[in-house]
Amino acid sequence: MSAPPAVRLVGVSKRYPLLTRRGRLHSLKGALLQGQLWRLNEEHKGFLALSDVDLEIAPGETFAVIGPNGSGKSTLLKLVAGILQPTAGDVVVAGRVTALIELGAGFHPEISGRDNAIVNGMMLGLSRSEVMSRLDEIIEFSGIGPFIDQPVKTYSSGMYVRLGFAVAVSVEPDVLVVDEILAVGDEAFAHRCLDRIAKLQRRGTAILLVSHDLGLVEQLAQRALYLKGGTPVLTGPAGVAVARYRSDVASDEAGTESTGGTPRRWGNGAVTLDQVEPVDGTGRPVRLLVSGEAAGIRAAYTVRVPQDDFVFGIAIHREDGSLVFGTNTDLDGWRPERLAGTGEITLEFPRFELAPGRYVVDAAVHARNGLAYDYACEVASFTVTASVGWPGCYAPRHGWRPRGPAMTPPSE
Amino acid sequence: MKAGGAKAGVLTSLYRNRGLVAVLVARDLKARYRGTFLGYVWSLLNPLLLLAVYTVVFTWVIPARVTSDVPFPLFLFAGLLPWGFVSGALLDAAVVLGDNGPLLRKVVCPPEVFPAVTVLSHMVHHLLALPILLVAVGVAAWSGVVRFPWTVVLMPVVLAIWLVAVGGLALAVAALAVHFRDLKDLLHNLLNIFFFATPIIYPLEMIHVPILRTLIQANPATPLVLLYRDAVLLGRCPSLTAWIWALAVAAFFWLTGSWIFSRLRETIAETV
Repeated sequence: MSAPPAVRLVGVSKRYPLLTRRGRLHSLKGALLQGQLWRLNEEHKGFLALSDVDLEIAPGETFAVIGPNGSGKSTLLKLVAGILQPTAGDVVVAGRVTALIELGAGFHPEISGRDNAIVNGMMLGLSRSEVMSRLDEIIEFSGIGPFIDQPVKTYSSGMYVRLGFAVAVSVEPDVLVVDEILAVGDEAFAHRCLDRIAKLQRRGTAILLVSHDLGLVEQLAQRALYLKGGTPVLTGPAGVAVARYRSDVASDEAGTESTGGTPRRWGNGAVTLDQVEPVDGTGRPVRLLVSGEAAGIRAAYTVRVPQDDFVFGIAIHREDGSLVFGTNTDLDGWRPERLAGTGEITLEFPRFELAPGRYVVDAAVHARNGLAYDYACEVASFTVTASVGWPGCYAPRHGWRPRGPAMTPPSE
Repeated sequence: MKAGGAKAGVLTSLYRNRGLVAVLVARDLKARYRGTFLGYVWSLLNPLLLLAVYTVVFTWVIPARVTSDVPFPLFLFAGLLPWGFVSGALLDAAVVLGDNGPLLRKVVCPPEVFPAVTVLSHMVHHLLALPILLVAVGVAAWSGVVRFPWTVVLMPVVLAIWLVAVGGLALAVAALAVHFRDLKDLLHNLLNIFFFATPIIYPLEMIHVPILRTLIQANPATPLVLLYRDAVLLGRCPSLTAWIWALAVAAFFWLTGSWIFSRLRETIAETV
């Protein structure tokens, strides 16, 4: 986390002018005589598409932006890509940025796929020799085969998009901006796209992603920003942001007012989690757990409005937000019947095989459609100790069996 | 670093993206005649047919008398050829940013590339047609009608001045057309007026009304056209004043055009 961020947004806002019937300018006279033309960027009227966003994305991190339509996601992407300029604030991007906003944008229908790939690659910032050296790989990846020398106007929309994607990822950018593109193409191509994105992640490319596929967001992104009406609601681990968004959608559908709360804790309050604490094998609350021994996470709750649709969930993550383990009662097959009064529920681990280090717990109780009764992020924390400082998060019971090397086993 | 150099000047950005400009010009030319049987031959054939028609019309149908020592068809052709370059480049510049809207909105692409490509590909077309004029002048010289104008060696310099002037105008037109859709129609009419206000179909010496002559001389396109025709056809080495006047016009157009363009640059992507 000490490396300089790949993308940094400080207090970024974007205001779009509202177009009149004649465009941005009201009259020719005004434009020329009063100098409106030179002040287009200083307008204070108009539609505020994005307000006061702060954001940092580390190299190699995948960051998602989620939210309903019109919440400013694409505007944010275009600001990072450098297509738009912010009305206020600063956007700093380190290195080469490639935007996968519309694949194959700018393909000329009359010329061949090969020529279009060259032009497109150069538009994305490659030099001619760089494109030429990657051309075979691009054509291979696009899977267009012999049609590569046919004019692009003869291509199917799938071929078009595949060629566009192949060119865009060949740039090997430092920052990749992706807007809802994995929805295109067939299953096989979607898999290859994901493969390619994973490869870029390993290379250290920071990826900024917009998608309505929340499953994909949870799968690909480490952190996410949830935007609503141009305002950031919360920035946090992808799972948390997605949960918050789902809860808002569910409460909107139910016709109730939107989930209230802070970025760390929200819910409609029908049920509240009073206390969430790590416990040892005997049920005693502890702060220090021993790797490999029995442990649990216990949540005590109070019900204000009795429920027959409820799910308890627990997530354990590292302090940097990366998820270690998460589950809920629905996932594990428990059917809800009745929730009333007060009580507690414990997630038990017969052997808590975590590597030594500090961990943070999120706990939630929500309806099956995601509507949060109470969603508490980082509500508890604990430290795992072990006799050996294994790196990573997972420390299963293990041993070595040398057959050949002469070695002395560790003393017990 | 911002891709494309958002803060850099137009010229710096064009130099940095010269590879892209070159590829786009090549694409324009390739796409233009794709699927035609004659291909690039059309670039030669179009002006050749035009020249043939002028020769027939102005030699036998309306025998034109101009106070010029060269045949009128050649005189006319040497004026129409560069004018075709100007009007073609400017009319295309008025729509080029709109046509490439998807690229400007969805890809990080420096907008100044597009008017530059428009002007350069029109220049290439003009260069393909220029040999027709030179051959025609050569034939006329061989048959003793005119003396061969050795001043054609000045043409590279003359064309460079034209390129700078038209480049500047195209930048201004492209950026302004994004905000004023009316500009395209306005431009059509302006080009028509300037066509007649510039000594293209008549020599400047023919104008005897003093005020009219002053007006035509004040027209910034006049020195450029005179320079071109002097070098390619009349065989006169233009005077120093003519050179300075033409250079001043080109410099003024370029500086104004690129200034207007950079002022409007950031509004282009969200308006097209």
